[in-house]
Amino acid sequence: MRWLLILMTLCFTSVYALDASQFSSATDEQRFFNLTKEIRCVVCQNQSIADSNAPLANDLRNKVQQMVIANKSDTEIKEYLVQRYGEFILMKPRLNENTLLLWFFPILAIIMAGFVLYQNRKNIRRSD
Amino acid sequence: MKTKHVIPFIFLFILLGFLGHELFYAKPHEIPSALIGSDMPSFQLTNIMQPEKKFTNDDLQGHISLVNVWATWCPACAAEEALLLEIKAKYRVRIYGIDYKDKPEDIKQWLSQHQNPYDMIGADINGDVAIDLGIYGTPETFVVNKDGKIVYRHVGMLDQAAWDETIHPLINQLESENT
Repeated sequence: MRWLLILMTLCFTSVYALDASQFSSATDEQRFFNLTKEIRCVVCQNQSIADSNAPLANDLRNKVQQMVIANKSDTEIKEYLVQRYGEFILMKPRLNENTLLLWFFPILAIIMAGFVLYQNRKNIRRSD
Repeated sequence: MKTKHVIPFIFLFILLGFLGHELFYAKPHEIPSALIGSDMPSFQLTNIMQPEKKFTNDDLQGHISLVNVWATWCPACAAEEALLLEIKAKYRVRIYGIDYKDKPEDIKQWLSQHQNPYDMIGADINGDVAIDLGIYGTPETFVVNKDGKIVYRHVGMLDQAAWDETIHPLINQLESENT
């Protein structure tokens, strides 16, 4: 049981350590943590750079940290990374002309399904 | 059977087609470079072969070149070395190396033991230039035109097929555009 607890603690411990004193405010520190959760590790693809211990994720965390310290806004930091790694680097793709279908297809599918159901019921009623 | 009953099935099969493509044919690790068509990011690196001079993006101006991001500790980079040497000797293409996260002394030691395919080698000691280039692993090779713009990016080891079928024809095309 004790080993299980130790193992669980290790599993849920953050994979990296960070020197929080480098940030000038708690807001910046929070901003950094939020950003690392929104940026994808392009090597391990299904993890954010906050969850990944890959060397590139580490480099990207350092870059984000430097940019937060240099007072760059969240939008500027994301734009910098998107310019280099493409939209894919963001865990949650932004809404633009390339991602329109991705964002609106589910709504479109529900509307279409509703329309088909409505037509079918109408037909059944008519045949009754 | 009425045509309208077939439509949902056609729709379903189209969606299944997309799913099948993503499952079996898509290459999720080949992320297209967002930098194609843009200027080479500006950089200034320690020039390993001529320490008195920096290796910068300005060195890429005026001629077509290959920029190879590599490392002495990377086995795939060692595997493409023979082809880089052949490209340099046979096709006279200038090849520049950006050495990713290596110690300068390791690069110098590597140079003393290997034939050198590079015109210049810049040491990207902390990997900053690699991030500027959108690199996610070594090796990666960029084709840069005479205006210093990135025209093509090859991810992974450069092999004969990639050179014969894509990169060499592209360089020939760029050269014919210049003349």
